[in-house]
Amino acid sequence: MRFETFVALRYLAASRRRAHVALIATISVAGLAVGVAALVVSLALLSGFQDRIRRQMMDRTAHLRVSPQRGARLADAERVAAVLKSLPGVLRVTPLIEGRAWASNAAASAGVPVRYRSASEPPAAPGDAGITGAIAARLGLATGDEMRLVSSRSRLSPIGPLPVTALVRVGEVRRGSALDKPGEIEVSEATARLLAGAPSGAGAYEARLADPLAADAAARAAGRTLGAGYRVETWRELNGPLAFALRLEKAVIFLTVALVILVAALNIVANIALTVVEKKRDLGVFTSMGASPGSLERIYLTLGAAIGVLGTAAGLLFGVGLSLALERYRIVPLPSDVYLLSHVPFAVHPGEVALIAAFAFLTALAAAVLPARAAARLAPGEAIRLSR
Amino acid sequence: MSAIKAENLSKTYTGEGAPVTVFSGLSFEVREGTLAAVMGPSGVGKSTLLHLLGGIDRPDAGRVEVLGSDLEAMTPRDRARFRNEKVGFVFQFHHLLPEFTAEENVAFPHRIAGVPEREARRKASALLARIGLAGRGDHGARALSGGEQQRVAIARALARDPKLLLADEPTGNLDAAAARGVFDLIRELHRERGMTTVVVTHNPDLAARCDRLFVMSREGILPSSGLPERG
Repeated sequence: MRFETFVALRYLAASRRRAHVALIATISVAGLAVGVAALVVSLALLSGFQDRIRRQMMDRTAHLRVSPQRGARLADAERVAAVLKSLPGVLRVTPLIEGRAWASNAAASAGVPVRYRSASEPPAAPGDAGITGAIAARLGLATGDEMRLVSSRSRLSPIGPLPVTALVRVGEVRRGSALDKPGEIEVSEATARLLAGAPSGAGAYEARLADPLAADAAARAAGRTLGAGYRVETWRELNGPLAFALRLEKAVIFLTVALVILVAALNIVANIALTVVEKKRDLGVFTSMGASPGSLERIYLTLGAAIGVLGTAAGLLFGVGLSLALERYRIVPLPSDVYLLSHVPFAVHPGEVALIAAFAFLTALAAAVLPARAAARLAPGEAIRLSR
Repeated sequence: MSAIKAENLSKTYTGEGAPVTVFSGLSFEVREGTLAAVMGPSGVGKSTLLHLLGGIDRPDAGRVEVLGSDLEAMTPRDRARFRNEKVGFVFQFHHLLPEFTAEENVAFPHRIAGVPEREARRKASALLARIGLAGRGDHGARALSGGEQQRVAIARALARDPKLLLADEPTGNLDAAAARGVFDLIRELHRERGMTTVVVTHNPDLAARCDRLFVMSREGILPSSGLPERG
């Protein structure tokens, strides 16, 4: 063990015998531990919810989408479909047909404008549609009810333009998903083609992959094969605004809760500054024995690091333990009819835990810098002279 | 050959209140291997002089050459290494570090030099045995008597086998018997190790047992004619 580490650890251990220093040392370690634990639990809570949203993204959104750089329709849709099908790990390739329509219930007692799109997952029955909870509420619909869609385009007939309509059955009412756009419904490819008046071709093609995390590599491969003129997007890019909002939310929570750690760091400054004053004579004696100013500085940096390690370790232990227990035993319940979840989910991500640990440790170390530098600048002769 | 050569040293303390000039234009020389005593009234700067000679404080003006090295020309890091290898300090109030055992206190100079812990402890233990404190190494500084504490402080000062020992009233805080014992030990180790030793003391009997006596006053420091110069 290095001289500086040996002295710093002994100072920390011996502080128990000096009541005032022991109190401040305990507050320093406990403050850091509380900050770390609060940060771990907060991020675990956010991750719990966000992981579910991310899973929904992977389940509900196409993993790859190819659309033309210009125009609303693919010029060579069959080639695009063939290229997507040839990619490794592709499970299904479906055309994307979308447009605007007016939706009403079977009795036509209520109506609402909607945006329809062909579903990337084939519905259970060909005439089924997936609608959001908001549309269901506006039209008074439930699963199994019929719904009429009137397309925004019309078709010409001998007696003049006629509306294009389709009668669909509500196959699914989706609730509590951050991915749902309030006015969007999903219909079968055949219904979408009918409403859009597009018997062939597509505005875009979508693909689902066996491994959604491989979407970036697949997108690069598709882009290389198709060449210029096509926009290839992954599920991450398709949900870009939401993903950004989730990241932003996590960053804001991190910065807010991290303030607790910064307050704890002020305690560490006080603790180490007090030790420097208390051990002024020791510093003079160490200097007389040949310790360099840098060596004295390292003693107090090590002390800060030791407090950092203790506080961080205690905080991680408590925070991770609490988060795992909250998830394992489902301690915080939720009304499942509102949230589609029976409990508040917690998810501990090792990467985030490592980030918190590094942040807390480096903050504790940074807190030690000022008093450590003061220790290094101390006039040793004066320290000895005044400590008689 | 001179072990210590100090020329025109000046030192003023500037703290709270008016600046206090401790001495000005002070010159001092001690030959190698000499056991020198420095006497003088309180406040004339005897301790300050030792701090300047050992490089733990710096003069405002003047030059200090110790064992052929100009302390003012050194970087703080080099001065620290020089102190560790060449200079030992003994203070009036022993200044043992209370959180550490006697053996750990004595091992510190080795540990600062980067000697591995086990080796440093072995050397410290041997040195404690040499000064008659075998078996006391595990005791905390507070568990030792005043004389024992000062002996441990002497062992700590000699841990790196320095060529220069600077002792600031090493017996000033001890009763007569303990003071005699500690001074005898310093003399014995001085002879045994061939060091140059400067002892600040208020005790004329102990000073009389040194090779040379210097008397320090507001006017400066002068060799006393009462003692023959040897060495």
